[in-house]
Parts: sequence; structure tokens; C-alpha cells
Amino acid sequence: MAVEISGLRIAIGGRDIVHGVDLSIGDGERVGLIGSSGSGKSMIARAMLGLLPVQAEASGSIRLDGTQVVGAPDRALADLRGRYTGMVFQNPAATLNPVLTVGRQVALPLRLHYDLSRAERAERVAAMLERVGLPADVASKYPHELSGGQRQRVGIAAALVTSPRLIVADEPTTALDSITQRQIVDLLVSLVDDAGASMLFITHDFSVLARATTRCAVLDAGRIVETGATADLLEHPADARTARLVDAARALALRPGGGDDGGSGGGDTAGDAAVEEKDMA
Amino acid sequence: MMARFGAIVSSLWRRAGGRFSLVVLGLWVLVSLVSLVWTPQPLWRTDGYDVWAAPSAEHWLGTDGTGADIVSWLMAGSRTDLLIVILTVLFAGALGLLLIAAMTARNSVLANTSVVAVDALISVPTILIALILAVPLGASVAVIVVACGFGYGLNLARVARPQALLVARSAYVESAVSNGASGVRVLFGHIVPNILPVLLVQLSLSAGTAVLAESGLTYLGVGVPSGTPSWGHSLATTVRFITVYPLTVLWPGLVVTVVVVALNLFGDALRDAVDPVGNPALRRVAVEETEA
Amino acid sequence: MRFIVRRLALFVVALLAISVVVFAALRVLPGDMASVMAGLNSPPERVEQLREQLGLNRPLAVQYLDWLGALLRGDFGTSMLTGRSISGQVAQRASVTFPLIVMGLAIAMALGIPLGCAAALARGRRARGAFQLAAVIGGAIPALWGGLLLILLFGRGVGLIGVLPSQGFPADGWDAPGEALVSLTLPALAVGVIVGASLMRYTRSALGELASSGYVEMAMSCGMTRTQAVLRVGLRLATPQLVSVVGLTFAEMITGVMVIENLFALPGLGTGLVTDVGNRDLIAVQSELFMLAAFFLLIGLAVDLAHRALDPRLKTAAGEGGR
Repeated sequence: MAVEISGLRIAIGGRDIVHGVDLSIGDGERVGLIGSSGSGKSMIARAMLGLLPVQAEASGSIRLDGTQVVGAPDRALADLRGRYTGMVFQNPAATLNPVLTVGRQVALPLRLHYDLSRAERAERVAAMLERVGLPADVASKYPHELSGGQRQRVGIAAALVTSPRLIVADEPTTALDSITQRQIVDLLVSLVDDAGASMLFITHDFSVLARATTRCAVLDAGRIVETGATADLLEHPADARTARLVDAARALALRPGGGDDGGSGGGDTAGDAAVEEKDMA
Repeated sequence: MMARFGAIVSSLWRRAGGRFSLVVLGLWVLVSLVSLVWTPQPLWRTDGYDVWAAPSAEHWLGTDGTGADIVSWLMAGSRTDLLIVILTVLFAGALGLLLIAAMTARNSVLANTSVVAVDALISVPTILIALILAVPLGASVAVIVVACGFGYGLNLARVARPQALLVARSAYVESAVSNGASGVRVLFGHIVPNILPVLLVQLSLSAGTAVLAESGLTYLGVGVPSGTPSWGHSLATTVRFITVYPLTVLWPGLVVTVVVVALNLFGDALRDAVDPVGNPALRRVAVEETEA
Repeated sequence: MRFIVRRLALFVVALLAISVVVFAALRVLPGDMASVMAGLNSPPERVEQLREQLGLNRPLAVQYLDWLGALLRGDFGTSMLTGRSISGQVAQRASVTFPLIVMGLAIAMALGIPLGCAAALARGRRARGAFQLAAVIGGAIPALWGGLLLILLFGRGVGLIGVLPSQGFPADGWDAPGEALVSLTLPALAVGVIVGASLMRYTRSALGELASSGYVEMAMSCGMTRTQAVLRVGLRLATPQLVSVVGLTFAEMITGVMVIENLFALPGLGTGLVTDVGNRDLIAVQSELFMLAAFFLLIGLAVDLAHRALDPRLKTAAGEGGR
């Protein structure tokens, strides 16, 4: 699915968060959006799927294969969500419904969009769980009974079970340790490529970015400061702000155990992710 | 400290709900004080020939079944209700903090026991505690204060526990404790400031509920003793004749409703006003204080 | 499992504690029970006879154990005033109070939960403000006054639209079910409106928090509209919390119920207990207080167990009391 964002502005409570962003994603392309906390990355991702908080106001244009998203009625957007688009969230512990079993959670998009029999649905859920590398008995478990990495696999399964054409991944690895991060990114990339879907991958971590995307845009304080092929951008950042981000990421990677401290980096949406992770454990 | 107080009051005033509650609560205190020295008619001047009088220049809201002046009794009632509310809030606050301290204690037996005890005891209604107390004590202000304070203290502890626990188990409290901070210091230095918004909201809700409880308990004969002016007393004495004189019963009920609305709105407004994240003026003061 | 065992043990301990408190409250009276019950100015022989009859000359511990033993056998004693068995008396009064509570609670839920949902979903500033104001005012009305206003509106003979009876309960009780139901309608409405307002407030705040949570976002990303997600996911996730609230409201609502019973002259538990306290029928008061407290402890127990059953996270959290 091709995405065309132009002149996107987002304001919350009269304060501008995103100031006129242009970004395009080609059909089947994996694009990264990188920036520090609070730069507005998550808001852009949410605007694409009509998931902005109620107080937020968006203007400008976002077209998904030509369909205008900004200002569209929620009913119309809900028909797209979970069918043609899927979203992977930062903190599955705070997004997977705690009272649903994994099987029912993954089946939710199928249930909402397709008229399948119970058996058909169970079969597709089982196949999806297998593809994300989870044992079959996970289907009858609750999210809190799984590890952080397993939970994120469930999140990916729920996002991809309907074979959507666009995946929006909002810092899907931030709450994970570095080994699990790599596994999850590789899993996501292979599934998205197999399906031929497009992906917008949001992160503040350059090492993850290189694995997940071919092209990326750097966001700073609500504006895109640089766009280019991911590898080039990491080697020769043209903009001073990009250079600063890259340097900061390197410094972090050099620190012993630097990448491993789970969600301590926080994120735009869930600053308390680290606390919650600890509580769940 | 003064600057901080000023910032809170001015941000209360900027909200419609906050302004309404400040005005009503201010009037309440003022009327209570005035009633100590002056009421339109002496409380005990009753006139057997002038019962259920319509409002007039002499009796602004008329008289009740004993010929007593309704306005004067309502004014005098405000000081009893004010006293009840203040004592109840103090009692509830003290009990609540004590229970929070117990529930967040390092001693896990104490912590678990108090948590489960609160969960069990909270289901005993205020009215039953009041009735139990009323058997030996008779109708008295103390019955209302102790019964309500007990119930609301338990409720306060239960509501504030999750947040208090989060603070008590946080890294900075751990480090304060390892540096030798005492339990009391942790409670007042770390836990209380962090749960202050919850405390304030719950206590002002409790204040409102106490006013409501006063009217109910007094009507049932276990609250304010007869002869002591209170809003519940005014309501109860006029109730029996509503079918004949429906208008007289309007006023005490209206006073109670308006005051309870004010207390509830006050809690909501205060929560927003003391929250440094939600109140930019307070944030500015805090920054200035740390820089100074 | 460990939680359930511990919670049950605590229920028993709380029950015993309440029995001690009730028993003690009636023994610290000025004078003693016999003189209070006999009333002022009664001849000393009469007081002494009563003391003998009630066994008040025995040691306190013996009296307490005797009472507790009788309670365990289901023997709640005999009313000094009416000479009837207290359990029979309570059962008859409960046949008025329980239907009243159930009807009141049903009205409260029918009003409070949908209005709370609407308030949580309201978009405009004005709509939000209006809902909030309605909830705050509804929760600030004293039960006594709310009941009065309803009588003045609907009470037969006095109200503006005088269609419903506002005093008393049919003498035949539930043998005349239609009449009984009609006589409970107005009191139940009074209870329901007051409790409904607080239920609305809790529903709104619980849903309001959940509406901006990741769970609702996740459900939306799977294809629900915001309204659907808030109502289906939010309401389900708020259910354990709301069950607790209803349980607590239930306990708090009993004050209102007693006031309303008195106001509408219904021969229920509240009226009965207040009358017994007034008549110094202390044997009855002692047993009735204990029974009511036990009943509410039981409600608390049921609410806690239901809360746990409704949240799978708590079921597997290995017996950790309060987490």
C-alpha cells in the first residue's frame, strides 16, 4: 500500500506537535521514522490510522492508496484498520487486552472483518502463531503469562493475521532486551516482505533502524530534517541534528550493557513503560 | 511556600468549578463565624402563635412548627456542620495515613494483614458503626465524626494504596532508607507529597459525604442531638409536615446540596491545581524556588 | 487458592471482631442493660428481675460465649418488646428491605452505567461539562431531601403528578404483590437516583482513563471504532472495578435506604433497627446489628472474590494478597 503524507499538522490542546510533515512510502517499501522522544513520531503513526487521541487535531493530507485519512469518519477508518493496515505497539503489556486469551486477541481482526467459522478462524490463528514462532499452546494463555518477547510476537501476529497491506510499527522493540530486539525486528521484516506489504517503522534506535528499513526520515521537534537511504544517512548525516542523534546512539551503544536496559529510554506515548514492565515481571 | 499557595489559589479561581466552590466554602465559614455573635432572630425565641409563618421581613424564610426562625437555625447549623466536617476530615486523614503507612510497611506480615483488613472492614457501612456507637453514646456529634472518619479513613487508604506502594517501592525511597531515613520521614517526605492529589480529592469528597451523613444520621436520631442546630436538624424537623408546608423543607435541602456540590467541585479543582504537570503557574513557582 | 483461603479466614476473624464490638458497645452503657431496658423510674425489683432473666449477673465472657453459641445455632434471641423471635422479625423486615435494595440498585445501574458511558464518550467541552455537573449534583442531594422532592412530584395526594403511593407498605405484604411493588416504586426510585449518580461518576472516570489506554488503541487498530472499543474493551476492563464500586456503594447506600424507609414509612430493616434502638430493645439491637454487619462483610467477600474471578491477571498471581 502506498502512503502519501503532505503538509501534516497535529496540535494537541492548541499546541503544535507536528508542523507540516511530508513523507511518502512506496508500495512494499520499508521506511523508518526516527527521532528523539517527544519529536512527534508516534503522533504521525497514529494519524495515519485515525488513532489520534480525541483532543488532537490533525490537518493536511494523508492518503493510503489514494484514500484520504485526515478528517475521515471513524467508521470508515475502522473498516480499514485491522484489514488493510495493522499496527504493532511499543509496549504489548499495556496494549494486549489482559482479559482475552492470546488466541482471541489474535483472532480479533478476523472476527471484526471476516465472516469465518470458528474452526476456520482457529486454524488461521494457529497458523499465524506458528509463523511468529510461538508454540501452539500459547493460544489459550493470557498475555501476563508470557515473556516480553513472546508478548510482542503476539502483537505482531494480531497485526498481521489478516495479511494487511501496510504495517505501522511504533517502537516495537523499545521495551525489549537487545537479543530479543534483533529477533523481533528480523521476524517483522521477514513477515512484511513475505506479504509484500509496506511498513512504517518508528524508533529512536539507529541500530534497529538499519536492520528494519531501507529508507528513512529524521524527525526533530515535529519537522522532518533529513530523508534518505538508511545506510547513507547513518554513514554521512547531512544535517547537524541527525549527526547529533547518530552520535548519541553510538555513545549509548559503547556504554557497557548500554542497549540492554529495556525500556529505560521511554517513548513518546508510554513514559512509564519501564515501570510497567517491572510490575509485570 | 507562600508563592506556591498563591499559585494554587489563583489557578483554583480561574476554573469555574473552583471559583464556585471557593465562594460557597468562603460563605460557609463566614456565616458560621457570624452566627456565633449574631443571627436574625434569637435561636430560642419561639412563638406558639406564629408557627409555619410565610417568609416576611421578620422571618426571611418563615418559621417552622415551633415558631422558630428558619434562617437563624440554618445559620447556626452551618457552624455545627463545619465543625463536623473539619473533625471528620482530620480523623479520616489521620487514620488513612496510619493505614497507608502500615500497608506500605517493609514488614510483609503487617502490610498484608492491613491490606486485607481494610478490604474486609470497608464493607461495614457507616450507619452501622454509627448505630453501634449510638447505643452507648446516644445521639451526638462524636458519633457522626467517629463513624464517618472511620469509614472514610479506610476508603482513603484503599484508594491511595496503589500509588503509595509505587512510591514506597521506588528506587529513591530505597536509597533514602539505605541512607537511614526513618519510616516517618519516608511517609511525610516522599509518600504524602506523591499521593497529595489523591488525598485532597478523597478528603474533599469525604467532607461532602460527611455533610450528607450528618443529615441522614440526624434524621434517624443517632446524629446531632435534638436542640443542637444543624442542617440535618433543620431538614428533619420540617420533614414531617411536608405535605402541608412543602416550601419550608426546600431551604435546608438546598443548602446541603449546594455545599456538597461545592465540596466535590473543590476536590476536582484542587487536584488539577496542585498537579505540577497540569498547572503551569505552579511549575513556574517551583522552578523559581529551586533557582533561588 | 491461597488468596481465597486467606480471605475466608479474614472474613471469619472480622465477623468475630464485629461480634465483640457489638457485644462490648452494649455493655459499656451507663448503668447496665437491664436498667436501660427497664426504663427510667422502674422499681429496682423489676430491674433485678430483668437482670436475672437476661443472665446479666454472669461474667461477661460467659455471657458473650453464650450469645455467640446461640448465634451459631441460629438462635438470635427473643424481642423483649414484642415477645417474637428476632430471626422471624428480621426475616419479615428483610422482605421489604431487600426488594427495595434490589430495585434501587437495578434503577441505579440502568441510569448510572449508560449515562457514565455517554459522559466518557462525549466529545464537546459543553457536553462533558453538562454530564459532569449532572453527576456532581445528583451525588450531592441528601437522600432525605431527594425522597421528599420525589414525594412532592409523584406522591399520591400531595405530588404535582400524584400517581404513586408515598407512605407505608400493604399489610398483607407480598401476598398482594402488585400493591407491594407499587408501594416500593417511589422509594426505589429515590434510592436509585442517588446511587445512580455516584455510579455514573465512577463509570465515567473508569472509562475515561481506559479510553486513552493502549488497550482501547489496540482494539481500534484491529478494526473497532473508538465508540465500539471504549464500550466493548473499556467497559469489560472496568468491570472488576465497577463491581467493587457497586459493592461499596451497596454498603454506603444502606444509610440512604434507612432514611428512605423511614421517610416512606416502610416496615423494613432500617426502620426496625432505628425503632429498636429508640425502644431500647437491646437484645434485638444486639442481634440485628450483628446480622447486618455480617451481611455486609459477606457482600464485601463476594465482591472481592468476583473481582478476582473477573481479572485473569489476579487469578494466576500466585496468592499475592494485595498486588
